[in-house]
Amino acid sequence: MIETQWYLLLSAAVFSIGLFGILVRESALIYLMSVELMLNAANINFVAFSLQHGNLTGQVFALFGMALAAAEVAIGLGIILVLYRNFETIDVTVPTTMRW
Amino acid sequence: MTGIYDLVPAIALLPLVSFVVALFAGKYLPKKGALAGIAATGGSLVLSLLVALTVATSDGANAGYNETLYTFLEGSSSAPFSLELGVLVDPLSALMLVIVSLISFLVHVFSLGYMNDEGETGLPRYYAGLGLFSFSMLAFVFASNILMAFMFFELVGLCSYLLIGFWFREAGPPSAAKKAFLVTRFGDYFFLVGVVAIFATFGTGAFAGSESFPHLAEQALHGEHAVNTFLGLGEQAWFTVIGLLVLGGVMGKSAQFPLHTWLPDAMEGPTPVSALIHAATMVAAGVFLVARMYGFYALSPTALGVIAFVGGFTALFAATMGVVKQELKQVLAYSTISQYGYMMLALGGGGYVAAVFHLTTHAVFKALLFLGAGSVIIAMHHNENMWDMGGLKDRMPVTYWTFLAGSLALAGIFPFAGFWSKDEVLYETLIHGLGESPLLLGGYTMGLLAVAFTGFYTFRMVFLTFHGKPRTEVAEDPEPVRWNVKGPLVVLGVLATTLGAINMVPIKKLTGADIDYLHQFLDYGPEAFLTNVHHYGELLENPEFAGYGAADIGTTGLLVSAALSLGLALAGAGLAYRLYNVPEPVEHTDRLGRLKTLLMHNYYQDEFQVWLATGLTVPVAKAADTFDQSIIDGVVDGISTVSRFAGRGVRRIQTGVVRNYAALLTLGLVLLVAFFGVTGGWF
Repeated sequence: MIETQWYLLLSAAVFSIGLFGILVRESALIYLMSVELMLNAANINFVAFSLQHGNLTGQVFALFGMALAAAEVAIGLGIILVLYRNFETIDVTVPTTMRW
Repeated sequence: MTGIYDLVPAIALLPLVSFVVALFAGKYLPKKGALAGIAATGGSLVLSLLVALTVATSDGANAGYNETLYTFLEGSSSAPFSLELGVLVDPLSALMLVIVSLISFLVHVFSLGYMNDEGETGLPRYYAGLGLFSFSMLAFVFASNILMAFMFFELVGLCSYLLIGFWFREAGPPSAAKKAFLVTRFGDYFFLVGVVAIFATFGTGAFAGSESFPHLAEQALHGEHAVNTFLGLGEQAWFTVIGLLVLGGVMGKSAQFPLHTWLPDAMEGPTPVSALIHAATMVAAGVFLVARMYGFYALSPTALGVIAFVGGFTALFAATMGVVKQELKQVLAYSTISQYGYMMLALGGGGYVAAVFHLTTHAVFKALLFLGAGSVIIAMHHNENMWDMGGLKDRMPVTYWTFLAGSLALAGIFPFAGFWSKDEVLYETLIHGLGESPLLLGGYTMGLLAVAFTGFYTFRMVFLTFHGKPRTEVAEDPEPVRWNVKGPLVVLGVLATTLGAINMVPIKKLTGADIDYLHQFLDYGPEAFLTNVHHYGELLENPEFAGYGAADIGTTGLLVSAALSLGLALAGAGLAYRLYNVPEPVEHTDRLGRLKTLLMHNYYQDEFQVWLATGLTVPVAKAADTFDQSIIDGVVDGISTVSRFAGRGVRRIQTGVVRNYAALLTLGLVLLVAFFGVTGGWF
């Protein structure tokens, strides 16, 4: 059986990839994917701990996390569509009007 | 035999009905509401007489009535007192009810001549005011507790304001009305504090009975009953403070120095109003209030001393100003202030009956003088300057003879009503002064001096108005007055001549005849009320309380005292006779030089009060305003300025670029983890 810390390492690596994508990339679609990676890193954590403790709660939570991710994608795609209609681009650094 | 007492509220409610009728239906009525007022006050007069008769003829508990009509705040454990409206009938209030309803009735009749016949407009308003005033004053008189008394005390003040300002389109009356309102309100402020203090101290405001506050105060001084005192004062000292607070309202309403300045200005109102409100009844409310709670004042020698001194000083002070005035009603106004000073002197000097007696006679003869002045004013086409009159004696004999009767009473000439009452005032003060309280002699001296001034200004007024030769064309041919003016004058003239008979104490002392009827009447009330004269006498003489002892100055002293006051009055009158009873009088007071200027300006009291307002209050208010604007507002503005400045800087991190937000979030998370790592000892 693979030890839990390997899962955690995997999860940390996936989360870091997602974070990197958010901090450096400009396309809104990449953003969406990066957020998806970070959510799934969390899900891996849940499942890994569930396995370690022999408790199903973590797996159930992971299911909720996936449903949440699906909902988030639906809304995120909607936002991206509106973004494109207004600015003719999906570069997230261009729209800066939502401020003081 | 309680039947008649059940009708006591109706004495006040009848004029209230006439107020409503005059206000809403007055303009459709033939006399614009006058008839409703006459009927209502006539009814009140009949009921009052019946009540007074019942008090005088019953014995024991039936000779009075003390009931609660309506409780508008029930007492509870957290507020252990009830606020209620009630009726208290004892000899004092029965007497006052008769006086008020009598004068009110006569003034309503007189108003037919003074207002209706002169073609005034706005008469429904006038009669509504008179009705409301009669209602408030009568309800004040039978009030059973001090809160109810305060409420109606304020209502009469309101009516006074409304009626002084009756001719509101002219310049003078509205200003005089405002002044009267503000000056009396200044005194009432202290009265209100006093009312609250009485409730806080005793938990009751009742005037009569064993649960009344005067009696509780008496027991508290005996150590039989615990009361709350404040400011760390002992019981006696605290009762004195309460007494002096209530006295503030009394001094405002009864026009005592230094709150007397409103009364001469109040003469801007219609003359019947002056007769009713500013001479006979409302101004008496203050003195009546002291008499009403005399059982309380009798406990405090200090409060009594202040009352006596204020009274004596006011009597003399106002009389000197009356000497130089040129307008008929002004002279009468100052004489009113002076005469109320006598009543206060009597109350402070331990002469309770004397004060009530003088209150009664003064109400009659001063109302008479004002109505007489009103008659002269009609005749003179509303010119009040005495120097434009003269020689009216032969042209209006009814007015002359009644006015003369009133003047003789005012000056205190034997055997008119004023002689008996003023003599008793001075005699009572003298014997108590010679007894245990020598300080009263100061008040007595001032009162005695004022007698001479009273005689002088009264007869200066009479001679200038009625004697000599007419000095203007109007005085040659004055406008005639009708029955509705002469009728009230005759009634009051007869009373002013004979009313002294109700309490001829000197005669009693000389002959032993039992004719001090007023004294006996004021002692008729039920013992349980503790408002009878002999009870007050016991309180006054008790060394634990006022400690007033009367000196026995014998028959000789009695005669000397009477002769002294009569002699001084005659001397003043005689001087006026010498100087002014000539065909072509000249203004002899001019010889007073600068003193006359001082007197004509009322000792610069008005200027002083205006200075108090503009020279003292306005700068203080301005300083307070500056403090508010700069310090208080400055702090508040400073806080908002700092916030706005900080916000303008910090908002720059809101770039609107979503990636920056993500970076900040990450940074925050890292810092948080690092913080927990360091403090939690992970490394």
